[in-house]
Amino acid sequence: MNKQIRRLAVALLACYLILFVQLNVLAVGRQQELNADPRNNRQTERDFNRPRGSILAADGTVLALSVPTTRGDQFRYQREYPLGDLFGDVTGYYTFSFGSTQLERTQNDVLMGDTTEQRLRAIGGLFRGSETTGSVVLSMRPDVQQVAADALGTREGSVVVMDPHTGAIIAMISNPRYNPADVAVHDSKQAEAVLTYLNAQPGKPLLANAYQERYMPGSSFKVITTSIAFENGATTLDRVFPVSKSWLPPQTTDPITNYGGEACGGTMVEVFYRSCNIPFAQLATELGPQLMVDGTKKWGVGEKVPIDLPAPAASFFGEVSDFTDQLPLLAIGGFGQGSTTMVPLQMAMVASTVANGGVMIKPHVVDATLDHDGGVLSRTTPSVWKTPILPATADTLTGLMIGVVNQGTGRQMQLAGGIQAAAKTGTAQLNTTGPERSNAWIIGFAPATAPQYAIAVVLKGGPNDAISASTGGKLAGPIAKQVLDYLFAHPAPAAG
Amino acid sequence: MSSSPIAAARRRTELGLIVMAATITGAAYTLASLGQNAKIPPILVPFLLVLLALLVVAHLANRVLAKGADGTILPLAALLHGIGYVIIARLSERSAGLQTTWTFVAIVAYVATLIVIQRAADLARYQWSFLAIGATLLLLPLVPGVGTIKGGARIWVSLGPINFQPGEFAKIALALFFAGYLADHRDLIASGAWRVGPFHLPELRHLLPIAFAWGFAVVVMVAEKDLGSSLLFFTLFVVMMWVSTERASYLVIGLLLFSGAAYVAWRLFDHVKTRVAIWRNPWPQYQGKGYQIVQAMFAFANGGTGGTGLGLGSPEKIPVAKTDFIFAAIGEELGLLGTTAILIGFLLMIGGGLRIAIRSDRPFEKLLATGLTTIVGMQAFIIIGGVTRVVPLTGIALPFVSYGGSSLLANYVLLALLVRVSDSNARHLGETPNELTPQERLEAYRRRRAVAKAVAGSGS
Repeated sequence: MNKQIRRLAVALLACYLILFVQLNVLAVGRQQELNADPRNNRQTERDFNRPRGSILAADGTVLALSVPTTRGDQFRYQREYPLGDLFGDVTGYYTFSFGSTQLERTQNDVLMGDTTEQRLRAIGGLFRGSETTGSVVLSMRPDVQQVAADALGTREGSVVVMDPHTGAIIAMISNPRYNPADVAVHDSKQAEAVLTYLNAQPGKPLLANAYQERYMPGSSFKVITTSIAFENGATTLDRVFPVSKSWLPPQTTDPITNYGGEACGGTMVEVFYRSCNIPFAQLATELGPQLMVDGTKKWGVGEKVPIDLPAPAASFFGEVSDFTDQLPLLAIGGFGQGSTTMVPLQMAMVASTVANGGVMIKPHVVDATLDHDGGVLSRTTPSVWKTPILPATADTLTGLMIGVVNQGTGRQMQLAGGIQAAAKTGTAQLNTTGPERSNAWIIGFAPATAPQYAIAVVLKGGPNDAISASTGGKLAGPIAKQVLDYLFAHPAPAAG
Repeated sequence: MSSSPIAAARRRTELGLIVMAATITGAAYTLASLGQNAKIPPILVPFLLVLLALLVVAHLANRVLAKGADGTILPLAALLHGIGYVIIARLSERSAGLQTTWTFVAIVAYVATLIVIQRAADLARYQWSFLAIGATLLLLPLVPGVGTIKGGARIWVSLGPINFQPGEFAKIALALFFAGYLADHRDLIASGAWRVGPFHLPELRHLLPIAFAWGFAVVVMVAEKDLGSSLLFFTLFVVMMWVSTERASYLVIGLLLFSGAAYVAWRLFDHVKTRVAIWRNPWPQYQGKGYQIVQAMFAFANGGTGGTGLGLGSPEKIPVAKTDFIFAAIGEELGLLGTTAILIGFLLMIGGGLRIAIRSDRPFEKLLATGLTTIVGMQAFIIIGGVTRVVPLTGIALPFVSYGGSSLLANYVLLALLVRVSDSNARHLGETPNELTPQERLEAYRRRRAVAKAVAGSGS
């Protein structure tokens, strides 16, 4: 019987070896996959009982922080957002049951102190029990954000303000917006109710419309069309466009008219500041599908906006094949109508590029990440995304955009203290029939000679409402002026 | 009382190992109570001390009642028990208090078993009684008014305030019956009265009691929907038949019977189909019946190699973590290192048990040790395999580790029997003096008195 008993021992040993192998598979082999499974909230649960670092504005204002809960709470820490809905689009929310969004998601490891660098640096404090959470410092200013929010009021739309030379976002806000604190409550039923409500709202409050949505740009797109025309030698400042009320592009019997059906024409400078439509339709048609599409692509149209926030949208103009047999579509695309849609942030980048001598810098909201001691983990340095135009073209465009402010459609952008701004307005007509709907735009920068700030403002009009009845200059212009005036009156404190 | 150096060395080893097991348990307990997720109040500390004291009591019982027994299996049980206790305490304060009570009862039963059964060979005589006891225990949950259904299986018995799982005890009774019966009849069964192809089959009447016991256990298990125990009995019978007859044909027959029964059960019973489906892929039923197993997988992954640390994981997310799924809770908080330690603990216990079987030169004790060891080894394999998705999940307790009075009590009685067989080996091999047991001394005294009386009577 001893032989059988020994074999039994071997058989049982083999059984246990199988168990050991399977344990390795679960605990090591498939560890990452299982831990990353969205149905697995163990990691999150653990995280909710650990301290989490703060998200700070450029001036040190706390935008998101974790505070210890009172006894009886489900978790040890509650995430709070002191400025309410002002930075929801940027910080995002941090919830137990519904994941996290925006910086709360992308910067999670830094905030939890889980990056390799932080763990290495924390080794010294291992026995001191010190916190190892990191913090994220933004380039954004809460005061400017507030001014932009006030200027927008209750209207649907976005404001983006950035430094044209560094790509640093100074303010970026969209209406409608939401308060991440409402979603971050620990009561998951309540959080779910809030999310359900927000998802059902028109205007997508949970979406950061400033960089995750795109709108028809209207005449503000003429900056791009004009740049392509100059880069390809299709126009000069002296070129004169005949005064006309309508023009018939090729391949159609449906004529193109100017805004409000006005007669419009003159030199390149005049048609730019008066924002005639027909000259830009003609320029686009003259350039043809290939040059126009290539030109827009140089501006990064069609690519996702390269911001350091999740899920950015891409602007849209179209492909060559879309226009070859559709030259009228190309013609109206020349003044930002038809199928053209632009991300508000990208329009701010267009203004920045003109301000920055033709070089397009990647936008960013995160200025630096810091470890628990305040030591710098990473600092964002400006990096070039595209170089769509030559410096000379940028200078030309600046001149044209100054004209818009001084004697054109953007006179609302004449800034306090005589600071010269450069701008381009846009009033995008969303439908040709039915109730009138349009988007009001302005993009620009100031001071025109030594630009410090670039801005883009868009207001989304509803059917026959006050926005749709007005123009970009009249509605978006004052918002941009308000924000820029504030910025020049309250320059950023010296970095310290 | 004479003592032998071998026995003294074994008891010293045992004490040292028990102190180590107790130290590990105490340290683990301290860590668990420091962990931020655990809710272990200081009031439980006396309970822990009682638990550790009880393990020392079991050791002292060995010193008196089983001097020559193997010195490693009790400490191994103590270690498994201690780690299990810490996890239970970390999951539920109330359960920890109760588990201490169960430990008390179990250790009393351990000592009582050693006192009552002084000669392992005596048990062979009661084989038919054990068959009757085993059968009754297995049937008990089916009796209306007594049996209760918990977690889909009808394996519980409620007698007044006492709830227990008779199946845990039935397995010991049946192992005793099999050891006794097979020790007596193994030659006849193995001789092979007739042949079918390569197989020697014994006369039917020799097989009948075995077949009866086996069929009985299987039918009852299916009726009670206790698949884990069913598989355990199956394995126990096949292994004991194989070891006693030394004929591999029983393994083949057993395997065929098992496959057939498994297939029939799968075809006939929806709950078996569900179990198999969840075993193959639990994800589609994540919200339903697959939830537990998926949570267990998450627990192992969350634990990783080193574990989250005691009191720092979320094992309470796994339904019934303190009983059937305690291994997953260990996997989460102690990681691969902890679970491997548990596996090694069981392997060492299996090794110890089978060494006792090999050292024995009497068939009954040899078979008994083999059977009891198989029970522990297979039961742990079935539930660990179920929790880790190596085999379909069938709910049974992890011996010594899981929360539960019946399981703990039965396993300590099982341990006592193993220790008794081991001690018996030492006496037979002359490692310790083969002293008379108190009962034998009493009988001898009576006999002497009777003789003296008779002599005195004849003299008068």
